[in-house]
Amino acid sequence: MKLLNKWSAVALMAAVAATSFYAPTASAHGEKSQAAFMRMRTIHWYDLKWSKEVVKVNDTVEVTGKFHVFEGWPETVDAPENAFLNIGIPGPVFIRKASYIGGQLVPRSVRLEIGKTYDFKVVLKARRPGDWHVHTMMNVKGGGPIIGPGKWLTIEGSMADFKNPITTLTGATIDLENYNLENTYFWHTLWYVFGLAWILYWVRRPVFLPRFLLVNAGRADELVSGTDKKIGMVFAAATVLIVIFAMSAANGKYPITIPLQAGTMRGIKPAVDEKSAVSIKVEDATYRVPGRAMRMKLTMTNNGNAAVRLGEFYTASVRFLDSDVYKDTSGYPEDLLAEDGLSVSDNSPLAPGETRTVEVTAADAAWEVYRLADIIYDPDSRFAGLLFFFDAAGNRTISQVDAPLIPSFM
Amino acid sequence: MSALNSAVRSHAEAVQVSRTVDYIGLFVFFFVVCGSYHIHAMLTMGDWDFWADWKDRRLWVTVTPIVLITFPAAVQYFLWERFRQPWGATVCVLALLFGEWINRYFNFWGWTYFPVNFVFPAILTPGAILLDTVLLLSGSYLFTAIIGAMGWGLIFYPGNWPIMAPLHVPVEYNGMLMSIADIQGYNYVRTGTPEYIRMVEKGTLRTFGKDVAPVSAFFSAFMSILIYFMWHFVGRWFATVRFIKQS
Repeated sequence: MKLLNKWSAVALMAAVAATSFYAPTASAHGEKSQAAFMRMRTIHWYDLKWSKEVVKVNDTVEVTGKFHVFEGWPETVDAPENAFLNIGIPGPVFIRKASYIGGQLVPRSVRLEIGKTYDFKVVLKARRPGDWHVHTMMNVKGGGPIIGPGKWLTIEGSMADFKNPITTLTGATIDLENYNLENTYFWHTLWYVFGLAWILYWVRRPVFLPRFLLVNAGRADELVSGTDKKIGMVFAAATVLIVIFAMSAANGKYPITIPLQAGTMRGIKPAVDEKSAVSIKVEDATYRVPGRAMRMKLTMTNNGNAAVRLGEFYTASVRFLDSDVYKDTSGYPEDLLAEDGLSVSDNSPLAPGETRTVEVTAADAAWEVYRLADIIYDPDSRFAGLLFFFDAAGNRTISQVDAPLIPSFM
Repeated sequence: MSALNSAVRSHAEAVQVSRTVDYIGLFVFFFVVCGSYHIHAMLTMGDWDFWADWKDRRLWVTVTPIVLITFPAAVQYFLWERFRQPWGATVCVLALLFGEWINRYFNFWGWTYFPVNFVFPAILTPGAILLDTVLLLSGSYLFTAIIGAMGWGLIFYPGNWPIMAPLHVPVEYNGMLMSIADIQGYNYVRTGTPEYIRMVEKGTLRTFGKDVAPVSAFFSAFMSILIYFMWHFVGRWFATVRFIKQS
C-alpha cells in the first residue's frame, strides 16, 4: 500500500510538472497532419500575398491570390459543391471584415467548379496582439478543411482598443464587441434570480430526510400546503407575464428584424483560364525516401509562341524553384519555399513546337517536414501539382501534372 | 456505540444533521446535474446554443426544447416522487446555465476571445418554472407532460426573444443584406466551423411566410410532450433502490 501511495505521489508530481512547466503556445493548424494526397490534389493556392506582416490593432491585412480547383480531385473527397472560403487563424485574433471570390462577397458557402481557377481576397482586421499563423483555407462539405500556406503575422497594441462598428439599416451605429451585452446579462440574471427564488422557497425548509420519511409513510400530501400552491400559482403567472411583457417590449424597441440569412451562393465567377502553352506527359515518377527527393520524367511540348523554361514546381503549398529561371519576391513563407529545390536535366529554353523529355527533380527537406512523403502510404498514391514555365520576358504559363508515384527505398 | 444505535442524541442534533445532509445533498446534486446535463446539452444541441448565428426561428426553436426536456423530466420524477419537491426542472436548468456560463465566459471568451454577446446560452428558466408549477398544482405526471411540457416548448422562443431581437436587426454589409447575428458569425472567425454546417432556416415551412416561429414552437412543444413521457421513465428508473441489497 505504501508503495502504491509513493508511486501515486510520483505520478501526480510528474503530471503537475508536465502540465505546469511546459505549456507551449499552439500555433499551427494541423496542416502537416492532413493527408498529403488531399493537399496535393484538391485546391492549389498560388500568387499569394499577405499585404502586411506587422499590423496594429484595428489595422487591416489583405490576403490575396488565386486558387485552382484541381481536375484530378480525389474520389475520396466530396466535390466542392458546397465550399466556404475560410481563414486559418487561432480563433478571432483577427476578424474577417470581407472575403471575395471572383470579386463577389462570399459570407456564405459557394459552389466551385472543378478545373477552374478563382481569384480571392480576404480582408482581416487585427484584434488581439500576438504572433499568429494566418493560413488560407477552403472548407469543403464532405471533405473537411483544405488548408493552404500560412504566414506569421504580428499584431501590436491592445485588444481593449479594438472597435468593430456597424451601422444598421435602422440607422444605429453599434460596436459588435459589446453590443447587446448588458441586455443579455440583464435577462439572464433576472431569470436566474427568479429560478433561485423558486428553489429557495422550498429549500429553506427540510429538503431530503424528513420529507423522504413522510413520503414513505404515505403522508406525502402533508408536504405541500395551500400556501405552497398559491406561491406556485404566483410564480407561474409571473413567468408568463414577464415573458409577455419582455417580448412586447423587445418588439417595440426593435420593430424591424429579419431572419438569419442562409443558402449556398451559386454562379461564382472564375478567373479567365488561359490555356497552357506547354503540354506535359508524365512518363514516370518516383519518390526517393532517403534523399527526400521526387524525380519525374516529363515529356514537354511547347505549343506556344515563345521559348519557355521550367521555373517552378508547386505541390501542396510547397514551392520548388529553379533560381536560374525564377526567384520569389512575394515574401512567401520560407519554410514552404525551396529556392533552389528544382533541378531539370536540360532546362535550356524549350522552343515553340519543340518536344523534349527531361528529368525533373524536386528535392528539399519540406518533403519530410510537411509530411508530403507520406503520400506513399495514402490510399490513392498519386502526386499532383502545377508546373510554372517562364519565357524570356517573364510571361508565365501553367501546366498541371497528375500521375502515379512509386516510392524508392534504396 | 454499535451500528444499531442512533447517531444522534437529541431532536436538535437530528435537525442539525438533517440540514447538513440537505446542504451537502443540494451541493452534490447541483453539480452532478450540472456536469451530466451539460454534457448531454453539448452533445445534442451543441452549436445551436453556442452561437448567435445558429439561433434561428426554425431549428433552434425546435431542437433545443426537445433535447433539453430530458433531464428536467427525470429529475422532476425523482424529487417529486421521493421528496414531494417541485423544483426538479428549475434546478436542472439553473445547473445547466451555471455550467454553460462558466464555459462561455472562461472558454469561449477568456480563452478564445469570442465576444460574450455572440456565445451566450439560451434562457431556459421560464419553461422550467412552468413545468415545476404545473406538477405542483396538478400532482399528475400526465398533466405535467401535456400542459407543462407544452408550455416548456411554447415559451422558449418568446422567453429568448428579448435577447435575440437586437441581433436580428438588418444591416447592409458590403452590398448584401445580413442580420447582426450573421455578421457576428462572419466576423468572428471559427476555423473549425465552416458556414455550410450551420443548420438554420432549413425546412419546408414556406407556406407560413415569415411566421414560422410559432409553428416551430408548437411542433417543439408536441415533441417535448413525448420526450417528457420517455424521460420521466428514466427518472422512475433512477429513483428506485432496487440495486441496494436488502439485509
